[in-house]
Amino acid sequence: MLGRTVPPCSTPTAPNKARRPRTRAGAARPFPMASALQTVRRLLDGLYALAGAVAALSLLAILGIIVAQMVARWIGAVIPGATNYAGYCMASGSFFALAYALNHGAHIRVSLLLSRLGRFSRYGEIWCYAVAAVTATLFARYALKATYWSEFLGDVSQGQDATPIWLPQIAMSIGTVLLAIALWDHLIRLIFTDHPGVQVPEIGEARD
Amino acid sequence: MDQLTLTIVFLLVLLLLLGTGVWVGLALMGVAYIGMELFTSRPAGDAMITVIWTSSSSWTLTALPLFIWMGEILYRTRLSEDMFRGLSPWLAPLPGGLLHTNVVGCTIFAAVSGSSAATLTTVGKMSIPELRRRGYPEFMTIGTLAGAATLGLMIPPSLTLIVYGVTINESITQLFMAGVIPGLVLAAMFMLYIVAWYYLRPGARPPAEPGLTTAEKLWNSRYLIPVICLVLLVIGSMYLGWATATEAAAFGVLGALALAAAQGSLSRATFMASLLGATRTSAMIALILMGAAFLSLSMGFTGLPRSLANFIADLELSPFALIAALTIFYIIIGCFLDGISSVVLTMAVVEPMIRQAGIDVIWFGIFIVVVVEMAQITPPIGFNLFVMQGMTQHEIGYIARTALPMFLIMVLMVVVLTVFPELATWLPETLRNRPG
Repeated sequence: MLGRTVPPCSTPTAPNKARRPRTRAGAARPFPMASALQTVRRLLDGLYALAGAVAALSLLAILGIIVAQMVARWIGAVIPGATNYAGYCMASGSFFALAYALNHGAHIRVSLLLSRLGRFSRYGEIWCYAVAAVTATLFARYALKATYWSEFLGDVSQGQDATPIWLPQIAMSIGTVLLAIALWDHLIRLIFTDHPGVQVPEIGEARD
Repeated sequence: MDQLTLTIVFLLVLLLLLGTGVWVGLALMGVAYIGMELFTSRPAGDAMITVIWTSSSSWTLTALPLFIWMGEILYRTRLSEDMFRGLSPWLAPLPGGLLHTNVVGCTIFAAVSGSSAATLTTVGKMSIPELRRRGYPEFMTIGTLAGAATLGLMIPPSLTLIVYGVTINESITQLFMAGVIPGLVLAAMFMLYIVAWYYLRPGARPPAEPGLTTAEKLWNSRYLIPVICLVLLVIGSMYLGWATATEAAAFGVLGALALAAAQGSLSRATFMASLLGATRTSAMIALILMGAAFLSLSMGFTGLPRSLANFIADLELSPFALIAALTIFYIIIGCFLDGISSVVLTMAVVEPMIRQAGIDVIWFGIFIVVVVEMAQITPPIGFNLFVMQGMTQHEIGYIARTALPMFLIMVLMVVVLTVFPELATWLPETLRNRPG
């Protein structure tokens, strides 16, 4: 299940070691090319981290909404549509964090076979990233389409909040697009550099 | 191609993607997409987004990140030390002595965290070195810890139960209440195992602990008592109907933050680490749930769940035989998949089956958690075995052997649960029938 036996990161050989971004799992392998690529690298890693931060804020917002709702109930008031807003924050927390969680090795996979492939494990990884990237691209494509149509048709939430549904769906669009980009990003680096794919942290995170 | 061939192709693709290591959530999504293309003329992509958006923006799901966060906060406090220091004076006089701190510690931490890996590391960080120092046999230390840590899945808040409840649209609060008594019974069975070991292997007993006065005991557990109060607050508020599961989770997060602050272990860094950890873990589960939501839609079009339910109905199995078959089925699946994935993956097919057989779905939730718990300690990929290996450097095979007695106790638990279903159904029913 856990990719514990994935080969360790190979040591970077390029001279620009100091300028590599700090991100742990998504760390850039040396690209022996122009600094344009490094700018792209920094930009992408920054985007993944930024989206992770937005997701964390969404979690805080869920807490805030629920506490506000409880307080309102005690003093006899009602916050209309609070549950819907909490639901939107849930979606935003999940979608924005998809790529961020991927880069930190948080997503679960069955790595039983991968870990037995030995020196062929790179091909196994390429297969996985390719399948995942194609799926995520489909996902992102239809998420964008759905958001566009929600806006075009003026869809409004059925709940008390009456939010135009495309607004919270923007989180889905951005999150899925970022996930697709992150997967293609890893796939390209797997094929053209010695990038080993996402590394799973040593001791599993708090998860089931 | 006829329906049957298509269904087989569908299942093979599912196995191929999961088996080769594609991330579970994306594998489910990809297979579901193929299924939609094979079995219906509906536009697959649009159906996918509708289902995924509805499932991932649901209010019920908000309990998940909050409970994860609560566990993450307490995981980063000094709870490990306090747990051992606070529990050991009370448990030392029992036959089997400090081994009981493993079970009781896991039970308490399970009640603040929904994860068995976190339970294992929190309790084990302190109890493994302490028990070793006092000369307890390694076999018992490792085994009881690996087994008892799985209680994290059953005692509320349980991530597996939230995921189960969201998947089949049942009340999370009801499921949580259903988990309380079986969780305690299972813990008691683990403790009986330790007592039995004490009497059967007198030669392996370590020297007795020095006795402490009640005041000293209370002083030692001064940090543990607030945690227990938090547990009672979270579970009690749900039981008394003051709060929904999500609101209880919010209480839990606030309480955990207050506890950490009072202890002096709440810094900016630990706050951020706990929040980001919760963000990652809930995104991980959310992706699986998205894939599963789409897969169960797609699976519906294959007709597989319905024909399987009919097939089972035609067999006229007794509920006992059905439960026995499902137990074996889940143990096998659990050898390859983690708990949450195996729940969401199978529910699309299993739900119609159990509803048809007249099995209570709340009870079934508890059943499925016990079986998934077993999977945590069975090789080749029991998750607790990996975490334990990281902590103790023992081989997986050895750890699995030490946990085997616990595995058998869980099998016994399935039997007990089947014979006395009231263990799981009584508490939720009293909750349901209470006026107001």
